[in-house]
Amino acid sequence: MSVTVSVRGLRVSYGRRTALDELDLDLGPGVHGLLGPNGAGKTTLMRVLATVRRPDRGQVRLLGQPLSDAVGLRSARRQLGYLPQSFGFYPRFTVREFVEYFAWLKEMPAAQIPLAVDRAIERVGLLDRADDRMKHLSGGMLRRAGIAQAIVNDPRVLLFDEPTAGLDPEQRVEFRALLRELGLDAVVLVSTHLVEDVVAACTRVSLMDAGRLVFDGLPAELIAAGGVGDSGDSPIERGYAAVLRDARTAAR
Amino acid sequence: MTAFHLDARTLAAYVDDALDDVDAWSVETHLDRCAACRADLTLDDPTRRLVEAAAVAWAAPLPPPGRVRPATRWRRIRVLVGAGPAARSAWLVAVALTGLAALGLAVSPVMLPPWLLLLAAPMLPAVGTALSYGSWSDPLHEMVASTPQGGLQIILWRTLAVLAVTAPVTLLAGAVTGVGTPMVWPLAGLALAALTLALGSLIEPGQAAAVVAGAWAAIVLAPIGEWAVLVQAGPVWLAVTAAAVLVVWTRRDRVGRRTA
Repeated sequence: MSVTVSVRGLRVSYGRRTALDELDLDLGPGVHGLLGPNGAGKTTLMRVLATVRRPDRGQVRLLGQPLSDAVGLRSARRQLGYLPQSFGFYPRFTVREFVEYFAWLKEMPAAQIPLAVDRAIERVGLLDRADDRMKHLSGGMLRRAGIAQAIVNDPRVLLFDEPTAGLDPEQRVEFRALLRELGLDAVVLVSTHLVEDVVAACTRVSLMDAGRLVFDGLPAELIAAGGVGDSGDSPIERGYAAVLRDARTAAR
Repeated sequence: MTAFHLDARTLAAYVDDALDDVDAWSVETHLDRCAACRADLTLDDPTRRLVEAAAVAWAAPLPPPGRVRPATRWRRIRVLVGAGPAARSAWLVAVALTGLAALGLAVSPVMLPPWLLLLAAPMLPAVGTALSYGSWSDPLHEMVASTPQGGLQIILWRTLAVLAVTAPVTLLAGAVTGVGTPMVWPLAGLALAALTLALGSLIEPGQAAAVVAGAWAAIVLAPIGEWAVLVQAGPVWLAVTAAAVLVVWTRRDRVGRRTA
């Protein structure tokens, strides 16, 4: 399988606290779920891959480009889509202007922009609100506008940090369908707390704990890791609990 | 996804159009189904341009739904510069107030001492620059920072906009106070803004502006009383600007994207 995201020996710390510790990760096309408890380092990993945070040590390659040199960084960013966990907006912008703003920022060819903007808004089901100002949108609509700006440039690497927060059940089902569609050609990394999202939409799943990768495999393998005695209401929740427990016992 | 994958030689032959039709068809059938092999396709530049041109040509005849603006160069500048953090309106008020104060001074010189304008006017560009990017003033900072235009480029666009707005006000303030050559005032403003950008590659832009403002206040209010010298030293300000620009350029990958 071709590898489009490759991380070697990644280390990031905030002051004395180590957020990511000697992390290795390879991702190819498909939808990858990133699970883990709060504070496991999921968001930090997302921010490093999104080129927002510089790693303290280690190497990150997106689409074969090392992020450490300016040329590689710029060409990687052109093919990147990123939705952070929380984001604001410029209140006067309409949805369409918001997505257009990012199309320009991502250096898309001008001839493609108007149509790409509308296509992205349509894919998140917001076309009927495209000319509304951002300040008049609900939380779920704002998040969908955020998803639209992430996919406007048809990125080959897509990073979604908690994308389903604030979406109602119906929208979550639609979003999972969009994820599967995007994962046909792009590397899609989705960090989430909702394990049912992983079962429904992800081709692979990684589990992080305390800045380390403790599991990397198929959703079915994570389900298989769980036993009857493990806590959790669904097979994958039991697998999640079992892998986490084993990782913590091994670390001691 | 299937277990079978095309080897690199077959893919290269397919790209070079060196396969016979039957083989090419079966390669295409496989590519339709297999994302991994599709990702391994490396097109040469002319082919990639052809594919992109075809995609544009296919998309172009479709009528754009809704209110779509044509993507012109002017539109690009308008969107990139027009997008701005909310704090900008407060800053615009400060610029307008300084302009009014300068006008007031022109009418009745007793209203306020000239050093007050010297304190405020040249700092306006630096404050505006610091307010226009960074995690604490730009609600979209995190997303903008991950785009190719999101680093130094967008910050320079916004600095340019800030300078365009402040230059007339600074010039006016210089003219009405009668301290030094009026042209030197905007130069000092430019130098202080450049210093803020340079310092902003080390610390938060807001802190950088505060440090520069503090230093500027210390110089202006210093008991030497010779601050008139400041506004006659055009070459000095140009040198400061040049030095700051050099720092910004060498640390350009850190502007708007620091380690912390």
